[in-house]
Amino acid sequence: MNLLDRPFPPPPERLRRGPLRGDAFTSRLHDPRVAALLGMWLGVAFLIAFLTGLVSHFMQHPPGQFAWWSRPVWFYRLTQGVHVAAGLACVPLLLAKLWTVYPRLWEWPPVRNAAHALERISIIPLIAGALFQLATGIANIAQWYQFRFFFTVTHYWVAWITIGALVVHVAAKLAVVRANVGRRRASRAHLTDRVSEPEPPGEGLSRRGFGIAVGTAAGVITVSTAGQFVPGAGGTVLLSPRGPTLGPQGLPVNRTAAAAGVVRIARDAGYRLEVVGPRPFTLTLAELHDLGRATSRLPITCVEGWSADAIWGGVQLRDLLDRAGIPADASVRAESLEARGGYRTSEVAPPHARDHLTLLATRLNGELLDIEHGYPARLIAPNRPGVLQTKWVHRVVML
Amino acid sequence: MNGNLNGNLSDDLSGDLSGNRRRAGQVVRVLLVCAGLAALGYGLAGLVTHPRPVNLPNSTRWLAGGVLVHDLVLVPATVLVGLVLARFVPAPYRAVAQGALIVSASVALMCLPLWLGYGGTPGNPTTNPLPYRRNLALVLGAVWAAAAAIMILRAVRRRRRHRRHRRHRLPGDPARGRRISGGEGKLDDEPAAAVDVVDGHAAAVCLDDAAHDRQPET
Repeated sequence: MNLLDRPFPPPPERLRRGPLRGDAFTSRLHDPRVAALLGMWLGVAFLIAFLTGLVSHFMQHPPGQFAWWSRPVWFYRLTQGVHVAAGLACVPLLLAKLWTVYPRLWEWPPVRNAAHALERISIIPLIAGALFQLATGIANIAQWYQFRFFFTVTHYWVAWITIGALVVHVAAKLAVVRANVGRRRASRAHLTDRVSEPEPPGEGLSRRGFGIAVGTAAGVITVSTAGQFVPGAGGTVLLSPRGPTLGPQGLPVNRTAAAAGVVRIARDAGYRLEVVGPRPFTLTLAELHDLGRATSRLPITCVEGWSADAIWGGVQLRDLLDRAGIPADASVRAESLEARGGYRTSEVAPPHARDHLTLLATRLNGELLDIEHGYPARLIAPNRPGVLQTKWVHRVVML
Repeated sequence: MNGNLNGNLSDDLSGDLSGNRRRAGQVVRVLLVCAGLAALGYGLAGLVTHPRPVNLPNSTRWLAGGVLVHDLVLVPATVLVGLVLARFVPAPYRAVAQGALIVSASVALMCLPLWLGYGGTPGNPTTNPLPYRRNLALVLGAVWAAAAAIMILRAVRRRRRHRRHRRHRLPGDPARGRRISGGEGKLDDEPAAAVDVVDGHAAAVCLDDAAHDRQPET
């Protein structure tokens, strides 16, 4: 007999008390078919959240020489909006899924053999990671920081743990899913001993009713929050942490001028924009306004999942770069007046730097840019996370 | 003989095929486990090699805390709510109440910091700017209004069925029993089940009916 399958000595029966008793859990919802169906939905939602999360991560930390394209304009708005929406919809899915399999936590005997022990251990990173991702994600979009770790880094690495544990789990449960899902599932019932029993009569929620309730919960969550990234639906949000139309000049703010410590320096009449390249030059604010005749309709697309449309006015970045003699294949760095902060500067690679929609904006929705939105000048480019749309720009440097 | 040979041959072939499929399935599973373990290991290594932003003692506490809170607080609390419902809410309304509670709790959990008034950044009024308690009350009000509508619908259906059974009872012939089928009713989504209608047992019929209401609707 295989070492993995060699049975462990059974634990003494008198320890089998409370939830460990065979008849401790009576709900007909503790059922392998319900678990498999919920698991499939949950797996899809987690995969979507993982992939869209990767997009956001690599947009902010592009590997090597790779540069993201600047089109389509709506791409990041969609991926990040879907990332947060999928995560929020997972709340009922995950809790329902865990409910269906909860009696397995109190299985008797706790471990039958080494293989069984390994399978049970592999569940721990999956459940811990899944709950962690949802809880920290919800806390982060509400900017509720009770934890003492840096959100983006930890959320990223735990995402790899969770998706890895999920793939292992799928491999371990493939037979159970095949035996319980699909029109011809009866012909595959021999694949496992975890086959759905016919639903016993009861007075509470049926399995079908349970599925309807969980689906409704996911739907209500989506409807009450998704307006935060759907174009034109910003006014419909009820339970999202931002109102995409609420803020100075009708736009939310992430980092305020006060938090960035730029209130005085940004309003200084001695402000100069410096463009550093083969033919460096500086512009006063008046000269910058004279140059800035272009307009772009672009959304601010935040990593927190909200997006807000606006009409920006200013000077095309590529015009400034051309005037400084910066070649078309060069990247530049936009520098803020902020003295410090993780997003004080951002790199603009050629696809964005040369896009005619990319502006150094001085006007917003027909008015002078509010200081909260980056007065005297801010970067605004298509298909780019909001944290990289540097505000209070005073220098553009060729790299 | 010829037929036998063919039969054996095709048996062998299909046996081979299913054997191949089983082996392919095994390979897929092994590959999945390897890929999963690689991703898991990559994530663990990432956590360990970024000690400053990750703050491993704190993040581990949150990782373990989630599981403990779920398994030892959230689920027992749900069981408790279920017991209370079973005690105080009769069928067929209980299922509706359970469903509405699942929706309500999920919605409330996904925006917990917002209606508790936690989070947001001081000095930035654009963070968490909405009247969340009012909005949550609106959303949950709509959920429970829908639940109430379903409950009323169920009550009306039940009463209609009672009346129908009474009409089938013939006056002056109290001893006569009659067999009707619930499936012949106008509401075709009701479970088809035979009910014995015997005079003087109207109450028993109602109870039976209630039992049918509880069946999952198919």
